[in-house]
Parts: sequence; C-alpha cells; structure tokens
Amino acid sequence: MTTKRIPVIDGLFSDTADGTRLLGSRCASCNVPYFPKSSLCHNPDCTGSQMEDASFGPHGTVWSYSIQNYPPPPPARYDEPYKPYALGVVDLTDGLRVVGRMAVDDPESLKAGCKVELVSEPLCTEEDGTEVITWMFRPI
Amino acid sequence: MRDVAVLGVGMHPFGKFADKSVTDLCRDAVVAALADAGVQWRDIEAVAAASSRFSGGKGWGLNGNDVVEDMGSTGIPVYNMSAGCAAGGNAFNVGYALVAGGIYDTILVVGGEKMPKGFIQTSGVEEETDPEFLRQRCVGMPGPSFWALLCRQRMEEFGTTEEQLAKVAVKAHQVAVHNENARFRKEFTLEQVLGSNMVSDPLRLFEICPVSDGAAAVVICSAEKAKQFSSNPVWVAGSTVATMSFDDGLPRGLAGVVPSGKSFHSEASTAVERALAQAGAGPQDLDLVELQDNTVYYELAFPEDWGMCKPGEAEHLLETGETLPTGKMPINPSGGFLCFGEATTAMGVFQVCELTWQLRGEAGARQVPDAKLGLGQTLGLGGNGTAVVLKR
Ligand SMILES: [Zn+2]
Repeated sequence: MTTKRIPVIDGLFSDTADGTRLLGSRCASCNVPYFPKSSLCHNPDCTGSQMEDASFGPHGTVWSYSIQNYPPPPPARYDEPYKPYALGVVDLTDGLRVVGRMAVDDPESLKAGCKVELVSEPLCTEEDGTEVITWMFRPI
Repeated sequence: MRDVAVLGVGMHPFGKFADKSVTDLCRDAVVAALADAGVQWRDIEAVAAASSRFSGGKGWGLNGNDVVEDMGSTGIPVYNMSAGCAAGGNAFNVGYALVAGGIYDTILVVGGEKMPKGFIQTSGVEEETDPEFLRQRCVGMPGPSFWALLCRQRMEEFGTTEEQLAKVAVKAHQVAVHNENARFRKEFTLEQVLGSNMVSDPLRLFEICPVSDGAAAVVICSAEKAKQFSSNPVWVAGSTVATMSFDDGLPRGLAGVVPSGKSFHSEASTAVERALAQAGAGPQDLDLVELQDNTVYYELAFPEDWGMCKPGEAEHLLETGETLPTGKMPINPSGGFLCFGEATTAMGVFQVCELTWQLRGEAGARQVPDAKLGLGQTLGLGGNGTAVVLKR
C-alpha cells in the first residue's frame, strides 16, 4: 500500500524528474523573480510589468537559519508530539531569496553559506494517514 | 507647518489585568494625560487612536470610539489608525499632522490593549493569497523565528555571542527596576537569562518580549495653545511613518529578491532617517532612544542601521555600559518591550510618554542626565514603520 501524498497548498511547487521546483513567475522587463506567482511586477523601478510563469530551484545557499523550539500557533501545522524543526532563508541560484524548512536530522550541522537543494517532504500527516507535503531544503 | 507640543502624558502600568477591560486601561491613561496637561475632556478637539485586532473597538478596530464613549460623547472626530504593532506610532503621526497642519489645536492620542495569552499569531486571515498565512502554513515560521533568522545572520556576520545577547536582557531589567510602569521590575543575572528556555534558536525566552495588557495616552497641541498651559513644554521635532522598501533583505512572505546590498528593517530605517531630517538633527545628536526591542537583537542592530554607531560596534557599547541611561548612547532607559511586554498598539504612545518624562527630567532613577533630544521608533506587520523625535 502506498501512502497518499497531498501538497500543503496547491500550485506552489512540483516534483519533476529533475527534482523539486518552486512555481512562480518572473518579470520579463526587469528580471525580478516572484514566488508565489504574481500578476503584477512589484518593482517600483520597473515600468513595464511583463509577468511570465517561471520555476525556481533546485540549488541554493543558506543565508540564515533558526530552530523552531516551540510549537508554532495556527495556521502552522505539525504532528503530535511536537518535534522542533529547523527553518532557513535560502538564496537560490536563480536570484530568489526564499524561506523554507530545512530537511536535516541535526540542526547543529547548519551553517550560513552551506549549499542546499530543494526537496519535497512531509510537513504533517492527516488522520487518514495522508501525508501533507511542503518544500524543504536539504544540505548537499 | 505649525510647531506641535506634547502637553501631557499618562499611562496605565503594563502587566496582566484579568479584572479590567481595555476601556478601563485606556481610561486611566487618558485621565492621567489630561491631568498632566492641565486640560479638561471638553478641550480635546479630536482623537487619534491605535486600532487593535485583539481587544475592544467593537471588533472593527474602533478603539478611539470606545474612548470617546467612555469619556463622554462630545461629538468630536475620531481617527482609528491600523498599522499592526506600529499603530500607536501611526496614530501619533496622524495627530501630529492634524495639529501641525492647522486643522485642530488640541488632540488626544491613545493606544491600549488586552492581549491574548501566549505567542500571537501574526496574521489574522486564513487566505491562500495572504503571504503571512502562506509562510505560517507552509513553513511554520511565526514572529519570533523571523527575529531568530535576523539574529543568527548577525551572529555569523559579526561574531555576536549568546552571552552578549543575554547581556541586552540583563541591562534592560537593570533599568526597569526603577520604572513603576514596567511589568517586570526584577533584576536578572546573566546565568538566569542564559538558563531560560530556547524559544527560537538562538533566542531564549528572556530575550523575547512577552505580550502584556497596558495603555498610554498623550495630549498634543499647537504652540499657541501650549503657551497657555506650560512655560517649558516638550516639542515634537519630527514625526514620520514609512513602509518597507521593495529591496528589503528579509522576505516578509515566502520570498523576495536576493538583494544587492544589506537592507533590513527598511521601514524602520526610512522612518528614523526622515524623522531626524525633519528635526534637523543627526544620529549623534540623540541623547536617548526608545526603540522596539521585541527581541534583544534589535537593540544591537537598530543603532547601527541608524548611524548611531559603527556596524558591529553595538556589542562593545553594550558591554562597556554605554547603552545604560548614564552611558553615551542610552537605549531604552524605560526597560523597553522586554520589561514592559508588548501591548501591541499602545507601544508608540508609550514611547512618547517615556521620552517626555526623560526630556522633562522626571524619570527618577532611570533618568538620562540632561536629555534634550530623544527618538522613539516602532515597526509593525505589513511593513509599517514609525519614528518620533522629541526635543526640549
Ligand atoms: Zn518588472
């Protein structure tokens, strides 16, 4: 029996043969990347918003990181009993600075500047056993 | 633009008050501010109030209307200002602008809160188009982790130690002992702070401000009006509101652009820079600062952002006692958010109260000697920043 997996929110990321990608957009006029998708370029110096679908990842560098030592308030989701997790801000090679959980067993091993790749991993499990998936970063 | 004076200030002490409503807290603060100003409720021509998401305001943030109904419905205009944790500073700015612009002579600015228990949920909406909602749901990244990420980045850049972070909290409690309005008036040792639970690594429980109940009110008026009541009032030298910049280095939602330079807390920096420019003063001219220390990190980062000291120098100034009221760069002589706890929308008004007492020389054992120029600063959800410069 295979476990059913659903994304935490539809349309934010996808698993390809080449690994996980974030689904966003990029302005063809000023090259600014957006995640999630944006229907308008928010760059005040850009006068000709031209939004095109774009996907981001999988490679990046950790800018900063932290450990969530206490259970976060809603609308965050987690399985009981609560287990602290690491999260980080990652600069993807395609110019996007993005937040995400860090897929690490030992948070102490994290360092700013370490190389990571985008993955999709369970955030929590529904009562019927369905795994709720989100994007995460795994050190490489 | 007309000169604007701070005529009177008042507060309800901060703490947890199960038996009082937010209207009770505001009433105490307003009555104290009116008495301090020497004016009657009938003299107030308009109210600029901070809108709360947590208490009173009929669930619509109509907190100024609550105050007017309670004090007596005189038919005056009410401006309810919403700006997250910056709402108090925002309300002050609106009150200031209305007096400076000649619309009214005497205005009451007020902010009060009764906060729910525990760490607050940042966003109030559960919609997939809301960036805060997405960040909480998909990543699980509440307010304190936001501060933790900034703090960790500083530690990696400047070598800030956990001990230095803890020393900020020790210093805050050392001064708050002398403040009758503070919620926590007990000294903490370095060991006690370092021994408190890790909340959002690298930040510990005693290094993050809790939420509190409290209220603050101020009466501001035109220079002409001020002359009738006081020979030596405190003046508003600058009052500004700003929002964050597009190139801000920390994403507030899920993502942003990798910035070309260092640009954090842009809403705060912009507000402070503009307020100092308005005051015709530089960062070195400030005798004291009341800044929004939701966490110890900000007390190290903000003075550098604003040019009060060099990047990476804040830890040294802290450790040599220069951020104490008697030092050369006094930060949060009130004890700050760490010792008051955050009654979110009251904070910008609370800072005006403390600056006023300091500039009048009425701050007792926490007095900054011969204080002439002081800065207050808040920031809130939505990328809202406010600053105020008061002078004597
Ligand atoms: Zn563009």
